[in-house]
Amino acid sequence: MKRVLALVLALAVAVAVALAAGRTDRAAAKPEAGSLVGTGSTFVFPLVSKWIPAIDQAYGTRVTYTGTGSGTGIAQITARAVDFGASDAPLSPDQLAACKGCLVIPWALAAMSVPYNVPGVDGRIRLSGPVLANIYLGRITTWNNAAIKALNPKLNLPGTKITPVYRADSSGSTYAFTEYLSAVSPQWKSKVGFNTAVNFPAGVGARGSSGVSGIVKSTAGALTYVDAAYATTNKLTFATIKNRSGKFATPGLRGIKAAVSTLPKKITSVSQLEIVNPPKAAGKLAYPIATFTYVIVASNSGSKAADLRKFIYWDVTQGQKFGPPLWFQPLPVPVQAFAFRELKKIQAGT
Amino acid sequence: MTSAPFEPTATPELDLRRRGIRLGDVLFKGIAIVAALAAVVLLAFIAWKILDLARPAISHFGLSFIWTDVWDPVKEEFGALAFIYGTVVTSVIALVLATPLSIAIALFLTEIAPRRIAAPIATMVELLAAIPSVVLGLWGIIVFGPWVRDHLEPWLQGVLGFLPIFSGDPSQVGILPAALVLTIMIVPITSAICRELFLRVPRDLVDGSLALGSTRWEAIRGVMFAYAAPGIAAAVLLGLGRAFGEAIAVNQTIGNRNVIPTSWFEPGNSLGSMIAAQYTGATSVLQAGSILYLAAILMVISLVANVAAQLIVVRFERARRAV
Repeated sequence: MKRVLALVLALAVAVAVALAAGRTDRAAAKPEAGSLVGTGSTFVFPLVSKWIPAIDQAYGTRVTYTGTGSGTGIAQITARAVDFGASDAPLSPDQLAACKGCLVIPWALAAMSVPYNVPGVDGRIRLSGPVLANIYLGRITTWNNAAIKALNPKLNLPGTKITPVYRADSSGSTYAFTEYLSAVSPQWKSKVGFNTAVNFPAGVGARGSSGVSGIVKSTAGALTYVDAAYATTNKLTFATIKNRSGKFATPGLRGIKAAVSTLPKKITSVSQLEIVNPPKAAGKLAYPIATFTYVIVASNSGSKAADLRKFIYWDVTQGQKFGPPLWFQPLPVPVQAFAFRELKKIQAGT
Repeated sequence: MTSAPFEPTATPELDLRRRGIRLGDVLFKGIAIVAALAAVVLLAFIAWKILDLARPAISHFGLSFIWTDVWDPVKEEFGALAFIYGTVVTSVIALVLATPLSIAIALFLTEIAPRRIAAPIATMVELLAAIPSVVLGLWGIIVFGPWVRDHLEPWLQGVLGFLPIFSGDPSQVGILPAALVLTIMIVPITSAICRELFLRVPRDLVDGSLALGSTRWEAIRGVMFAYAAPGIAAAVLLGLGRAFGEAIAVNQTIGNRNVIPTSWFEPGNSLGSMIAAQYTGATSVLQAGSILYLAAILMVISLVANVAAQLIVVRFERARRAV
């Protein structure tokens, strides 16, 4: 009996060791040339999913992409565990230094919508940047607040309590949204600031777009921020946001296109791509919470360099036509030109 | 050279057998020792690695991290107090609710229910433990949270509204919903153990007590509880350990606000929930280090709970022997 038990145990240990060894073998083996592995932003995942079969057809390059979140994308490319990372927020100076020679290349453009759940209101609610900032600061607490009423003279707003809902995990959506709040509200900028996660002074947090929209759906009076594609596919009602022309804009493709219309003709740095709260010259349609999303690659990419250049070049040119059905606005020409210049820096190295 | 027909040392195997040693025994002993050592080494390695990765935060904030109530990734100021509070309060509420509930379930199953009913109910209660915590959390968001907000919290406020912990607006996410989900998670564990304990109380003792004229409740209180007390204490602390460490279900129901709320209706956050939510997206070395500092604190709290459990069991055991 004991002998049988011992044998079974020994066998189990042997199998476990063999399995573990096999796994490390597989993990250590870099994918062969002609294939690329990437991870990161879930926001850009639907678009990359469209690109993958098309790029396979065009160049025979096999790309694997997993949506793990912008933070993971940055961490994985910093550790060089993947060939490219994807993030909705550009790298912070700290992260850029840690990533040692990483290039941040814009490859898609979209907008954040502000969905809400206010029962019994017939008509779309209009909001403005300062009002949103005050809601998230906990200063505007009911839907019939004078500031909201002033923006919506035709609506009969109830006295329901406002529950601002934010992302509890680190996310590119939070980056874009808090960047916008910082741009429109000095109090927000000094008290909270912007990052992929911030210290929200009011409201409740949940993980992921599905988490925040789940709370909004089941809580009367709640509002949150998710990308426009998510809001539309999940049939959430979103607010229109007042832009600097004084008009209320929707997070549609025309709104995003207008928002990037005032970008400089020559882009030399990622810092010029902050497009929240665009100037009045952007026009009446300009939606104020639009954001670029980025692919991050190492400038020294070894044997992968040629494939990466080809893949990203295709993404920022032909790949853009897959965007509009998914609520991604094609990149403007100056941004494309900037991407081309950055692409050239991806080298095999020495 | 004389021939020796009784020369057993010629083959070592025979010698071993004569000494009563078998290959199987040696192998088994070896594997057992390796497994036990591996557990110790693994624990030491994990603890060391967490402390090592937390080092930037530990050297930057020192011990004051523990009693600082702020979590600001923008200004890079971090502290653990709000999360420690959330962890301890949700777990203790869960424990206080789950303990009598578990004992009652176990008593019902062993003493009151006819066997035909007891068996399926026992299985169902244990199946409750098989629900993955993420599914339970999801149910917490969709079904349970709104029910708590619409029915339980208004009722609590009506009855006990003078207490600050039941003040404010009812909410579907917060300290109370998270604590209730934790209660549901730990009841199956503690009730299953309690049931085993009650079943193992010698029948003679209970019968003897009844024969001496005690009522059923007196027999349960005086004999069964006294006999099972150390085990119950251990079961309860096992449940507490589970509640301390739960990350996902709490994350889904606690509201993820990094403050110490006065009211139990308000959102807060716990150590496990915060680690689960923000580790992968930490934007700086200091933030990643601070999250691992939280992990180290969580480990210490769980360790303290475990040691306390063992001490309590020992004390009960001694008290029982003394009787």
